[in-house]
Amino acid sequence: MYKQTLDKLQELTIDVEKGLNKVFSQQYNPFYYHGAVPNLFMWILFLTGLLLFAYFQPTLDSAYISVNYLSTKIPFGNVVRGLHRYAADAMMIAVLIHAIRVYFTDRYRKYRWIAWYSGIALLVCMLVIGITGYMLVWDERSYMIVLMMSDALKQIPLIGVPLAKLFINGEVITHYTMAMSFFLHVGISFFLLFLLWLHYLRISRPVTDVPLGLGLLLFSSIMIPAAMIPVLSGKPAVITQTPHEFPVDWFYLWVFPLFSSMPAMMVWTILFIAIAVSLAMPYLVIDREKSPATVVLDNCVGCTLCAKDCPYEAIYMVPRTDHPKYKQLAIVIDSRCAECGLCVGACAFKAIDLPQTSSKDILGKIGDVLKEPVGV
Amino acid sequence: MTSKKKKILGIVCERSVDLKKHIKNNRLADKDNVAIVELTCSGMIQPIMIEEAFKQGAEGVFVMGCQIGDCHFREGNKWCQERLLGQRPPNIKKAVDKNKVRGYWLAKCDYKKFLNKLNDFEKDLEK
Repeated sequence: MYKQTLDKLQELTIDVEKGLNKVFSQQYNPFYYHGAVPNLFMWILFLTGLLLFAYFQPTLDSAYISVNYLSTKIPFGNVVRGLHRYAADAMMIAVLIHAIRVYFTDRYRKYRWIAWYSGIALLVCMLVIGITGYMLVWDERSYMIVLMMSDALKQIPLIGVPLAKLFINGEVITHYTMAMSFFLHVGISFFLLFLLWLHYLRISRPVTDVPLGLGLLLFSSIMIPAAMIPVLSGKPAVITQTPHEFPVDWFYLWVFPLFSSMPAMMVWTILFIAIAVSLAMPYLVIDREKSPATVVLDNCVGCTLCAKDCPYEAIYMVPRTDHPKYKQLAIVIDSRCAECGLCVGACAFKAIDLPQTSSKDILGKIGDVLKEPVGV
Repeated sequence: MTSKKKKILGIVCERSVDLKKHIKNNRLADKDNVAIVELTCSGMIQPIMIEEAFKQGAEGVFVMGCQIGDCHFREGNKWCQERLLGQRPPNIKKAVDKNKVRGYWLAKCDYKKFLNKLNDFEKDLEK
């Protein structure tokens, strides 16, 4: 039942893709670069963040003023600020499409588990970066975020109070609160790079760049709003006045409406369950037993073609001493093998094969199929 | 035998065009001169498989994989395409007439497109 639903979802994805192919052509279809698109937005965020960093002052007194200064007095400051905001939203959309597509097309489990787990970690980090980013402006919304977040954190048993203390960097909101949110915003951004390294592990030649044409198109999709609709701060935060509502960015700040509509502990539980379910997801489908590719010792000449073609870095070349002529031998790391047979296609010496569907079987089948007379 | 149609063999990735409904006795129900062998991924296709097909009496061979860029195993169809074009080792033997080999890169729901391409291939072989 679950599997049938997945099949239907896969067909749906292919249909959407076909439509997009008609618009973009196969070469520029963003669906074929669904992993590279978030990457593009991430680099835009790093670059614009670096420029904003030049003028931003992380203290309660001057954060609001410096943000306003850079967006009104600095040439194109507002555009850079807009790019930073819109690229963040675009990145979240792209990441969600990436995750959904990978899930629908069944490309998230088994030999891909590292990518799935690091992807969940990346998404959580993105949310933290987004929330702390909204704190830096230090308008009424930022103040509300700090208040609601520290209240909600305090509700968690045992670790809640110390966590809240860490979050506002002390008992009450001070300059150090701003320093902390700035640190979290920038520090976790760099932690993303480490997680991305994990995300790319075991993937030979990951596609991290979009073609130039598509890149320009995607860039203009955030550049135009950045130039046309400037991002503005709300009213400056005043510690003595607690604001009551604020505009919500639904991609990053969706937890706050939840916090205001139900007890914080319930929200934490829901989030915890959501993460637990997504962590368990790769193991909800039962597969047949694994039968990874095997190397025939006598036939391997050490030509490295299979190791080069393997898309999951599952084949390594090791030195061999048992043969007078050939100095290298291919070995398969079973846990990484996807049983795709790309190594079989790369081998001209019948030295690597899949036990389940060997190339010998296929050659035999080709003969059988062709022997049958036509028109029976 | 009344049929003079050319014998064609297709080596097909099981994740590209969904042929399960259209195959009878290893042949395409709509075209009984077309025999089909399915495998895990078009990247698994070895040049010797194509050579073997001609040796066993096929008059045309086509290879079919998913759309380029959308291989389930990331790079299988790319490698296969490059091999057909002679840009990636192992190469297909020069004795094989490349005019009688085709590569199609189509998605699961592209059956109609696939039939059209097959008709074109048959016409090319008649020439």
